[in-house]
Amino acid sequence: MTATRREFLKAGTLAGAGLVIWLELPTSAAAQAAPIFEPSAYISITPDNVVRLWITRSEMGQGVRTTLPMMLNEELEADWAQIQYQQAMPGGHFKGIRLRTSGSGSTVGTYSALRKAGATAREMLIAAAAEKWNVPPSTCRAQQGKVIHSPSGRALTYGDLAQSAARQKVPDNPPLKNPKDFRVIGTRVKRTDGAPIVTGQATYGIDVRLPGMLCAVMARCPYLGGRLATFDAAKALATPGVRQVVPIKSGMAPGVAVVADHTWAALQGRDALHIDWDPGPHADFDSDRLLQQMEAALAQPGFFVRNDGDAPKAIQSCPRKLEATYEFPFQAHAPLEPMNCIADVRGNSCEIWVPTQAPERTQSEAARLLGIPEDSVQVHVTLLGGGFGRRLFVDYAVEAVELSRAIGHPVQLLWTRSDDMRFGYFHPNDLERIAGGLDESGRPLAWIQKSVGPDLSVIGLPSEKDLADPKYYFNDGSPWGSFDNPYNFPHLKADFVPLNSPVPTGPWRAVMYPPTVFARESFLDEMAHAAGQDPLEFRLHLLQPGDVLTVGYARIDRSRLLRVLQLAAEKADWKRPLAPTDGRLHGRGIACNVYDQDCYIAQVAEVSVGRQAGDIRVHRVVCAVDCGLVINPAGLEGQAESGIIWGLSATLHGRIDFKNGAAVQENFHDFEVIRMNESPAVETYIVPSEHPPGGFGETAVPPIAPAVANAIFAATGKRIRRLPIAPEKLKA
Amino acid sequence: MSTFTLLVNGEKHRIDADPGIPLLWALRDFLRLTGTKYGCGMGVCGACTVHEDGVPVRSCQIPLSATLGKTYTTIEGISADGTHPCQKAWLEEDVSQCGYCQAGMIMQAAALLRRKPQPTDQDIDSELSDHVCRCGTYQRMRRAIHRAAREVSQT
Repeated sequence: MTATRREFLKAGTLAGAGLVIWLELPTSAAAQAAPIFEPSAYISITPDNVVRLWITRSEMGQGVRTTLPMMLNEELEADWAQIQYQQAMPGGHFKGIRLRTSGSGSTVGTYSALRKAGATAREMLIAAAAEKWNVPPSTCRAQQGKVIHSPSGRALTYGDLAQSAARQKVPDNPPLKNPKDFRVIGTRVKRTDGAPIVTGQATYGIDVRLPGMLCAVMARCPYLGGRLATFDAAKALATPGVRQVVPIKSGMAPGVAVVADHTWAALQGRDALHIDWDPGPHADFDSDRLLQQMEAALAQPGFFVRNDGDAPKAIQSCPRKLEATYEFPFQAHAPLEPMNCIADVRGNSCEIWVPTQAPERTQSEAARLLGIPEDSVQVHVTLLGGGFGRRLFVDYAVEAVELSRAIGHPVQLLWTRSDDMRFGYFHPNDLERIAGGLDESGRPLAWIQKSVGPDLSVIGLPSEKDLADPKYYFNDGSPWGSFDNPYNFPHLKADFVPLNSPVPTGPWRAVMYPPTVFARESFLDEMAHAAGQDPLEFRLHLLQPGDVLTVGYARIDRSRLLRVLQLAAEKADWKRPLAPTDGRLHGRGIACNVYDQDCYIAQVAEVSVGRQAGDIRVHRVVCAVDCGLVINPAGLEGQAESGIIWGLSATLHGRIDFKNGAAVQENFHDFEVIRMNESPAVETYIVPSEHPPGGFGETAVPPIAPAVANAIFAATGKRIRRLPIAPEKLKA
Repeated sequence: MSTFTLLVNGEKHRIDADPGIPLLWALRDFLRLTGTKYGCGMGVCGACTVHEDGVPVRSCQIPLSATLGKTYTTIEGISADGTHPCQKAWLEEDVSQCGYCQAGMIMQAAALLRRKPQPTDQDIDSELSDHVCRCGTYQRMRRAIHRAAREVSQT
């Protein structure tokens, strides 16, 4: 299995370089050897015995360049080594096929289509061979890139058969394998694109170089909602290597672009700009003050999210009542490859190279800006140095298009790390207040949860008309984690008070779940301790009778959640106490979640806290998962490890504050993330499942914060209700 | 503008450039060695790590004027054919996710193994903790470094 890459060696045109240019382009269908066998948009097979698979999702570390070929080849029966992959581009023969990568949907969204595409091709290859041999197709089988006539042992390769297969009738419903007979799906397959990564040959967006390409960076208005007033470009233009200075309006953070022969010259030119900003209406915006407004909003009635039984009345009757408020701050995505895009606008067409999760939107927004048809915009999706939701937004691509149009040159517009950290679509901050009631025997009777925060609707913010419908959020199924609370409370009420701010927000890894699940799973722990019960047993009771919960559009199988809780507890040796060691207090905490109906996960964290310093170490995380059929267990384990580290960064370090209308943090020194020395040992256990595959790119994120907070409580008796966790609160 | 002779991966390159340009951008924009990545620009993420006379350094913090007489190795030059023990171990342990940080990680790990062929977990922590992997592949990197160390000790 290899990546198809065409490497162009051309004379360099960047100033002072005079060296070679290297670039990777997906081979266009037209350039392939004809005639070809192209039974669907996903596959072509050529007489040179190459099977080409178009990858219809962006590779951003979740492994689509491995799992998508696996699903295809399960049915196709090609030789793994003869498959090459290429990145699909929006439009052309992918019109109508989704290329957007979001919602942990890469597997779920392609599983059926790729299996059908593989089976279709296989049946047509078999039909071609049977025709050639004049034998019934039922006597032929496909195996390892060949069709074999079983009685005689005659064989032809897929390459031999490509031309005649192209003439066969396309079957409507080619037979699909029984999952019991899978030989590829469910096996451990290593990343197909590992070798170019470890040799420095993989081409991310930032690495693409076009002939004649210029390099640009921008000075951006630091104030949320602010604008460019005036600027003086004289000193910038006097900087060696700087060519032009251009105001840019189209992105989310407007400003002035400095275009130069190479990146460093652009950066130097940017520093030499003199700019006056119009701070706009939010120049005094302060996230601490927003938090105070959110606290006040907790007293307001919210939109209905869930209402089972009569929780307000039931809680009055409870002899034991608890209430707590949990806080989750703004978070940046900060993928390690900063935002960047190359645009080349030529008259009435445009070509774009971009690390994006949203190729279709890149195409449509570029076309709209330029006033040209979408088909006139070609979007090449490169490898992504992380996405995590930030790259669903196309602001950084559209401003590169605006810049290329202005200067009449291909140009790479690069965001600095500080740009990336301060001008994002942040995970919104959030407050969750939960009240719970226990009856005389300590049984949980009532649960009332109120969420306050900026709205985070993935499909766009609701209109006033939408909000006139009191059931809007229930129908939308949000906030996730509160709406789809899996526990069986006799009385359960959930509300949401949207409180928007000037901060642009958007989906972060696990979207709405991290704050709601932090609060829900922490408060369950509080209730269990108040009831004098083991937190695991408390959850197991609350999931009885292991039935299917139906809420709005969601169906949640409590038996699957029970199973992963039990498995995680068993593997973590939940019942065995942890002894204190060398000045440290040790504890275990458990948390679980159901991610969008079809992914069930439980985690047990083992944590120690320094008796004096209050410093936190997360030693081990045991993770049990049922997300239906697993395509690649090795990939799933990687996503579990990845999601846990992601969530742990937010648990222990991450936050973005706003002061005087601007983001405070701007690089990895003040927006800290988990590094090697804080990385726990992660063990992942998979429940074998016959359910259809679920998505797993985000599932492991939400439970880790409450698992750690609950472990800290078990170790120290101190309850964490605010993230990131401040060690000074845990000092002796 | 000055003329510099930069010795990278065993080859001499003449560059006419501002003496203040960081090695990172000279490698990427002039020599087309894009395996060395920009991540933070202030020496706190490790993505731009290269070897200077065999010692791992942050190429975003080294101006061209400081490169005189030094020899540099980048991820493209750490082995002729991708067979450095770290590169092999990284593939065996299936480390990479998005992969963007991995060149810097491998350069740092390779230097650690040269200095300390049998590193402990603590050695790995102290050597690699100036690097950021946003995908969180630390556990697999740790395994890969131990695997590479075993290979080095057997040869």
